[in-house]
Amino acid sequence: MISLSSMPVHIGTKKDNLNEQNKGKFMSDWKQNLHKTRYVMDAILLISFMLVSAPQATGIAVHEWGSLLFIIPFSIHLLLHWDWIKNSAKHLISNISARQRFNIIWDYAIYLMMLLAFVSGFLISISLFPALNIEIDIQDFWSKVHHDSATMLMPMLGIHLALNWNWIVKLSKSMSQKGD
Amino acid sequence: MKYLQYRWKQRLFIVLLVSITMSILMMGLELTDWAVNINQTGYSHGNNGTKPNIPPILMYVLPFIKEIILIGVPLFLTLIWIKIVNKIKRMSSHNKTKHG
Repeated sequence: MISLSSMPVHIGTKKDNLNEQNKGKFMSDWKQNLHKTRYVMDAILLISFMLVSAPQATGIAVHEWGSLLFIIPFSIHLLLHWDWIKNSAKHLISNISARQRFNIIWDYAIYLMMLLAFVSGFLISISLFPALNIEIDIQDFWSKVHHDSATMLMPMLGIHLALNWNWIVKLSKSMSQKGD
Repeated sequence: MKYLQYRWKQRLFIVLLVSITMSILMMGLELTDWAVNINQTGYSHGNNGTKPNIPPILMYVLPFIKEIILIGVPLFLTLIWIKIVNKIKRMSSHNKTKHG
């Protein structure tokens, strides 16, 4: 099985470590720390989600092409939480707190809602598919599903952020500390 | 990016395979009575192409304010809910240790 926790970790010499520490004074080492990498990538994911979710402001073309690009930070988010995804089904049937159980179910629900928004969005595309010379018959059903799923995603995301709020606050403090 | 690059091809393949399979299953929704009903009655939202009578700057700002409210309000309410639940739990465990 593939696991992030089984990744080989580079253990440098004392000199390497000192150099790393000095470097840390000037730049963040977020790429070397899983939690910090997740934090930065999640921030990018949130910003890109907000940008692609406002077609009235950005225009339909930017909304559709941006949504296609949005697959990249969304996939990165899933890859960086690989261990969580892998163990979530096991945790669900084990003896965990109600909050943890709700968190797992909620994350699955967000994933499915996001997929529904993607699928319905592609099926009502008026800019992306025509540009690729693909003709589709746009159905009112998919327009409604896209509008409703995209609107539902926002409060669902709000609850998702609240459930992970302690982690967000902790990482925000850690990231703002210089040389950490 | 070492955490992302680690065996990324295999992991991405699994993520994409599951997502594409789920997406194809979701496309089957258009065959349901629910979809047929909506397609028959029709659906429209927004202002059907007519420009709303608001300052242009608001046209760009309002969608983001809507998002912040739709994300922020449930976030805030959930945080309050978690705080209340934690407080009740602390109080009940405190009472248990006091009386037990």
